[in-house]
Amino acid sequence: MNEKIGRVYFGILGIITLIFGISDLIVTMGGNDFSWSILEISSEMFRGGWGGLIVISAGLFYLSSLKNFLEIHQLSKALMGSILIWILAGTDIFVRITESIPGGEEGPWFNSLEGFLSNYVPPYPSVIFLLPFSLIILFFVSKIKKA
Amino acid sequence: MRLTADERWNLIEEISNKVLTYGKFKHTLKDALGELTVKPLTGIPIAIVVLYGFWSVFSSFAGTLCTDGFFVKLFDGHFLPWIQSIFPGKGGWIYYIFVGDPVADNCFEAFGVLTSGLFVAIGVVLPAIFIFYLMMALLEDVGYMPRLAVLVDTIFHRIGLHGYAIIPSILALGCNVPAVTATRILETKKQRFIMMTLLAIFIPCGAQLGIMQEVIPESIGIVLLYLIFGYFLFGFILNKIVPGKSPEILIDVPPYQKPLWNNISRKLRMRLGGFLKIAVPFVLFGCAIVNILYLTGTIDWLAKTLAPLLTGWFGVPGETVGPLIAAFLRKDLAVAQLNVIEMSKYQMITSVVLVSIYFPCIATFVMLLKEGWKNLLGSLAVLLTVIFFYGGLINVIWKLLGVQ
Repeated sequence: MNEKIGRVYFGILGIITLIFGISDLIVTMGGNDFSWSILEISSEMFRGGWGGLIVISAGLFYLSSLKNFLEIHQLSKALMGSILIWILAGTDIFVRITESIPGGEEGPWFNSLEGFLSNYVPPYPSVIFLLPFSLIILFFVSKIKKA
Repeated sequence: MRLTADERWNLIEEISNKVLTYGKFKHTLKDALGELTVKPLTGIPIAIVVLYGFWSVFSSFAGTLCTDGFFVKLFDGHFLPWIQSIFPGKGGWIYYIFVGDPVADNCFEAFGVLTSGLFVAIGVVLPAIFIFYLMMALLEDVGYMPRLAVLVDTIFHRIGLHGYAIIPSILALGCNVPAVTATRILETKKQRFIMMTLLAIFIPCGAQLGIMQEVIPESIGIVLLYLIFGYFLFGFILNKIVPGKSPEILIDVPPYQKPLWNNISRKLRMRLGGFLKIAVPFVLFGCAIVNILYLTGTIDWLAKTLAPLLTGWFGVPGETVGPLIAAFLRKDLAVAQLNVIEMSKYQMITSVVLVSIYFPCIATFVMLLKEGWKNLLGSLAVLLTVIFFYGGLINVIWKLLGVQ
């Protein structure tokens, strides 16, 4: 049962991840940032280009793990897909944290509470939306460890 | 005691029966993850994400948070006006050496020992080196570095090295001084010579990267691309012309493990201590020497003498001779100096590449000398050839693209 759920879940997540990664690359090639509701895609080469390649790789890791999902080597591929997303999302969050602490060129040493919090409002890059869904892999890893 | 072949085999069997236990090997999740990181198809995307994370954390911590967020404000807003007002003898040569330009409104342009020197050493380089070595120690302790060595082994064999050459190469991105020492993990004289030469010429140190991130954030990728291309191109050529052997190596790959904070803090303390003791005095000393050369008119004379080569062959302004001399003392200072010279974006890229591939900084120079004067002379001969041809080639590329 767990295997079937895992296959369906990471199959869907893999496809969505792949779509997000391809979108990152398309936007980067287009050269203009894209923003829609609470989603934003950067056209900057480093974040959009390399970041897009990483998101695509994560999607491919998920999709390649589907066959015989709970077998240790297959599960490790899904885990690696999630690790890729964690690193990318982690660096995106870290960038926001480093931008939110100082008070700006002309301002005080530290940011005001309002200024600090304003750095965390949407829009967010796609990988931030993938982050909570990628954490589900921990459930399957714990199952394997118990077994 | 001499044993026959049969007796030897019997002895081996006897020993192995005592020390070995047999059973079915069961893969764990860690083993499976470890395998993914060394296979090219899966290992390359993982290497990309590790390097991406490395660079992203490096630039946002050192650049956005520490330097732009706090140190620029501290040095430009408070320290510079204070030192300009209290330092005696405004307009005199001692003032010029220690404080620099009396009307400068930022430490990058003042160029005194106590202004630019301290700002570069403490405000730019220290946070860059700190975060670089912290992440490096994490990767080492987690067990990723040996896997990266396995992954890149084939590529490095093309330039006469093996996978472990990635260790001095990445260390050099922090500081070339420990990287030169780390070349001792390579087996043969040929390998050590190639590695030392390549890292002294083509690998920018953390200090330089920190300054490049400040001065040319939008062009840093192109500069690095030129350097990486040059690293492999001249590595390939050196492998063909330098006599000697490039043997294979067996790499012991440990399992992935949780990093020990004691270990990491000890490594960090040791490496930062080394940097503060060796590199910081050179930054301050370099600033003083360059100012003296400016005051005595040496740099103006050199700029005029070398102008045909600089403008004609390399396509950069004659004024870049100053930073090129400063580069021998500290490359980070040299890049900071380039910032105040008027030139196009493409001239700036060429200049930064020239500063990078120009003579190794004096601290690296001393380390190369410690490894043997023959190696040093050989490296310098390669370096002169590289700077002349590669610097000229970059200018030709811009001209062909019609962007110079």
